[in-house]
Amino acid sequence: MTEHVLTLKRFFEEARAGRLTGIRCGKCGELAIPPKEFCAGCQERNWALAPLTGKGAITSFTVIRIAPRGRAAEAPYAVAVVKLEEGLSLLGRIVDIPLDTLRTGLPVQFRALVTGDQTAVGFGPS
Amino acid sequence: MRRVAVIGVGVTKFGRHDRTSTELFAEAAAEAIRDADLAPSAIQALYYGNVTGGEGERQLHMGPLAATLLGLPTIPTTRFENACATSHAAFRHAMMEIASGVSDVVLVGGAERVLNIPTDAATEYFAYCSDASLEQTVGLTFPGVFALIARAHMDKYGTTEEQMAHVAVKNHRHGVLNPKAQFQKEITLDTVLKSAYVADPLKLFDCCPFTDGGAALVLAAEHVARKKPRAVWALASQAASDTMFMHEKRDLSRVMATERAAAAAYRQAGKAPADVDVVELHDCFTIAEIVATEGLGFFEPGTGGVAAEKGWTGLGGKIPVNPSGGLKAKGHPIGATGAAQIAEIVTQLRGEAGARQVEGARTGLTHTLGGNTATVLVSLFGRD
Repeated sequence: MTEHVLTLKRFFEEARAGRLTGIRCGKCGELAIPPKEFCAGCQERNWALAPLTGKGAITSFTVIRIAPRGRAAEAPYAVAVVKLEEGLSLLGRIVDIPLDTLRTGLPVQFRALVTGDQTAVGFGPS
Repeated sequence: MRRVAVIGVGVTKFGRHDRTSTELFAEAAAEAIRDADLAPSAIQALYYGNVTGGEGERQLHMGPLAATLLGLPTIPTTRFENACATSHAAFRHAMMEIASGVSDVVLVGGAERVLNIPTDAATEYFAYCSDASLEQTVGLTFPGVFALIARAHMDKYGTTEEQMAHVAVKNHRHGVLNPKAQFQKEITLDTVLKSAYVADPLKLFDCCPFTDGGAALVLAAEHVARKKPRAVWALASQAASDTMFMHEKRDLSRVMATERAAAAAYRQAGKAPADVDVVELHDCFTIAEIVATEGLGFFEPGTGGVAAEKGWTGLGGKIPVNPSGGLKAKGHPIGATGAAQIAEIVTQLRGEAGARQVEGARTGLTHTLGGNTATVLVSLFGRD
């Protein structure tokens, strides 16, 4: 059996504990979230855990005003693609930042958004 | 590989229906078979597309159901799901079944029914086409996906909300000329610009509607098609994928899968963007049309917004885009869209498009995008 250094389940368990974690390719150094079997860059299958600082800046964002079922009470809310300082990006919900102050380039910090059993990726003020 | 032609097309009226998606498909399929001037028994296989039937209609195993409702209960069937590119993906595989010599006549298409469920439920089901772990959990919607793309395009190239609005106005103008379009009503720039934000910077009139409808095509091998004077050749059909995750896209202002599928399709057909006379492309949101006109090679990167503003993509313009009204005005029954786009291009190349005819069109292109830009199909069509 192949040993996986990270699964989605463990990614969310780590996130829930406040630790943002990716994987790093042992050959080319590529970072990835979520975990993959082969490195999309070099096709190697040699991963190590990569703890991430969670610091980054907004690349693009949107304010969602029409929400899917069950999320109407949350709207309007912002979702952003954030480029982390290690070089990879991650999608997350923006929290505790006024919607009218959002802009690309704004520094943000990872935080876990926990609702019952579910954990989601969030970003708040840096 | 054998040459493949489209010899019959059928599309239901797009809009709200009180029939199931498989009923809608069967109606379109019957029209396509009649259009092909074939006996129904000539059909050897069905490639069927639908996306949300399991959620919205509690219906799976739709291939044999569609064939049964059509009156052909014994033909082999397969159901496809590739988000909004579903029936274009089905088309590519149906084409391969004929090209490879397995069958001579194949029926392909799809249908969708979503106006029977509340909008927030439809929004949720469509969001299932994004990743369940990292994207649905943060509340990303499909307007949200294209809003991220729109902001990146605006930041990089200076594309404006007004340029995006021009796409909506143009496609509604075209939709007026299509009796099967969901919306046959002109709108103004003000209509778009004053509509409410759905996912900033996209507003309600930047978005295509939810739609019920079905579309079907009859494909045939060359020896069958030679007997059909209205046959249109499928010159190429290519699919490309890209990472499912918005955060892994190499450049949010581009759709890499469009660029890859288009390059492969032009190569397969021996054509270039300048050879294309008429285009049906995936304008699920206005920004999607702008980015697609760049990715398909009609305009330089970053100039799709200017092209929309200058009217270069309207009927009578440099390259007429979405004469049917596009997803924006014709409607977007996601399982039917790819086949409906092909039906429009076939109709255009036959010279049968009436008031929206692109005069003298000889070569046409269809482009269908699935989900969060992770699936794209591009096909090219031509007359002898």
